[in-house]
Amino acid sequence: MAAIVKETQSIKEAVAHINAIDANKFTRLLSRILQKLHLKGERSFSEDEEEKLQTALAMEKQALHLVLETTSFLLEQAVYHNIKPASFKQQLENIQVAPDKAEAFCQAWATAGPDVVEKIRQRIFAPKKLEHVGWQLNLQMGQSSQAKLKAPHAVLDLGVREEYESEHLQNVFVEFSHQELLEFYNKLETIQAQLDSLT
Amino acid sequence: MAEHVGIFGGRIPAEVETLSKDLKDLDKELFRKILKGKISQRWWKLVRAGSLSEEKLSRIVSGLFKLLREALRFPGSSVKQEGFKEDLRELRISEEFIADIASVVFGNRRSALDAAVTQRGPRLPSLMEFRWRVDVAISTSSLARALQPSVLMQLKLSDGNVHRFEVPVSKFQELRYNVALILKEMNDLEKRSILKIQG
Repeated sequence: MAAIVKETQSIKEAVAHINAIDANKFTRLLSRILQKLHLKGERSFSEDEEEKLQTALAMEKQALHLVLETTSFLLEQAVYHNIKPASFKQQLENIQVAPDKAEAFCQAWATAGPDVVEKIRQRIFAPKKLEHVGWQLNLQMGQSSQAKLKAPHAVLDLGVREEYESEHLQNVFVEFSHQELLEFYNKLETIQAQLDSLT
Repeated sequence: MAEHVGIFGGRIPAEVETLSKDLKDLDKELFRKILKGKISQRWWKLVRAGSLSEEKLSRIVSGLFKLLREALRFPGSSVKQEGFKEDLRELRISEEFIADIASVVFGNRRSALDAAVTQRGPRLPSLMEFRWRVDVAISTSSLARALQPSVLMQLKLSDGNVHRFEVPVSKFQELRYNVALILKEMNDLEKRSILKIQG
């Protein structure tokens, strides 16, 4: 398969730094980055953790950043192409990654890779996304214009999140009578049939 | 002493008390028109030309409105026609007018009236229009081969708001499951003895 990464100057530099890292420490680094890879916009390490890493790896801030970014980038490329572990190892060696580090990449990818790919595959980006479904069933006994009702009413609480608002979930409340809910359900069944026809 | 509670439960509005007096020499056709609610501009002119004063007409309309509103509060099944007519007789409304009023409360247009009133009670927004789309993401910036379906929904609610959001397949299943659950609960509720409370 085609090379998943071009050997630019920046890559060369990063690889040099990576090769200098102790093997065990590097494995742990890989593991953590893979864990957080599917989370958009989230840094793999907090400010504090990065400072500690600088000390632990005896690296300057800039060098550490380069290592972290490049490692993430290499893993993201692996995801993008859904590359096989053996192939990945080969490609890494092609850009001068040391055999032990390439092996570390390969192992980590073989273990956690498929899971990360699946998480990223299920990640859809859209201005608004349904995140939460809640509901309440009420029995309406009366209202100012009607007494002695026995009408079951359901309220759906749809929690919708806007793309870049991580804190704020918008609640959309919709009320349904029995008949209305039945009609809604029939439409959901139609959608399900469409989804089923795709597999 | 009446054995049943009159439709006003003891507090008869002033306009209803004077209704009998105002209706006494009212032309029957005119009464029928008022009952139907066919009060138009042209008609006001005729009224002014005739013996019916604007003030009197206002009282009649107001009285009839209050009377009907109270009568229509109770489901048709819980009010006995004879009992209702007795109430009207106690208000000293003449027999032929009683027949007309009773036909509104117990006639075949009753269910349409009830449906209209239910709609106007206090409600959370209900679903006016539901549009949807099933998409399959072929490729994304994160995955060369994604092949991931998702559902796009657009809900137009009765309060005028339109909500459009994407629903991941897993969330869609959750929504569908929950709606089915509510429907089952509604069915159980409607069958249970709590609903056998006699009006």
